Amino acid sequence: MMNADREIQELLADYASSLRDGCLPTFLKSLTRDEARRISESRDFWDATEIVRLMNSAGFGDKVMTPDVGLFISRVDAGIASRIKKAQASTRSPSRSHVNLQ
Amino acid sequence: MDKRLRNALKQLTASDTESRRRAMEPFVRATFAPFIGHLHRYLGNEVECEDVLEDVYADIWENPDHLRDIEDDRHLLRTVYLYYMRKRLREVYRRMNRRASLSQDDLQNLMAPDLGLCDLISQEELKQLLHKMLGKLKARERKAIELWMEGMSNRAIANQLETTVGAVKMLEFRTILKLREMLKEHCRASGGED
Repeated sequence: MMNADREIQELLADYASSLRDGCLPTFLKSLTRDEARRISESRDFWDATEIVRLMNSAGFGDKVMTPDVGLFISRVDAGIASRIKKAQASTRSPSRSHVNLQ
Repeated sequence: MDKRLRNALKQLTASDTESRRRAMEPFVRATFAPFIGHLHRYLGNEVECEDVLEDVYADIWENPDHLRDIEDDRHLLRTVYLYYMRKRLREVYRRMNRRASLSQDDLQNLMAPDLGLCDLISQEELKQLLHKMLGKLKARERKAIELWMEGMSNRAIANQLETTVGAVKMLEFRTILKLREMLKEHCRASGGED
């Protein structure tokens, strides 16, 4: 488990591991105020995160391949259909309220 | 740029919603892999990546104006990241930060930063570049990074290198900063920006 009051190199290592393992919320929640301040003030930390992201991408970016893009496309289409419906509902609603008033 | 992608982009920026909706399928097919790979850099979680990307595509369908006059694949990725992905990434992390101590600005810089060095190079180019840079490191530094990229925990890396977890974290930190310097040099040499 993560220690309290971590030094900057420990914070970077924990950020890198949580990014790699897909559990960034755990890292964010683990930060104390002092650690957050330490991160905020460290130029090295910010420089290093950029490389960590690239390492993560080079090492593990390929594994994130959905086998069925067709299925994903239908999810996208369903999302679009729902937005169309919402837009239509919002344009219809004023006239409906008008009818109700009468 | 692929001809099918160019055609899809043309249709996607059409004015009527039905043409745009029809254009989504070829557009998603042509861009899914690079887009989800790019998102993975910031999220590291496939399920989150897919959820965010679903919203990104719907946002593109709703407001494709930024995608007019796209010149090439890099320009497309840059535009989609800056105008569509970042907004969604920020939303994800705003939710995550409810109980966290980071300021909103720091959180944004950590999770949906400006595009940095080599952020738009392809997966293959990136691998080659990292391989080249790793070759320039000392054996122990290279080993620590390679083991990390194989998915090993810091404790396991410490066991392999016969040292402590604290020493491994320090070694990784220094090595990562060294890699950044090399990357800066590479960008300078190839005429890129810092």
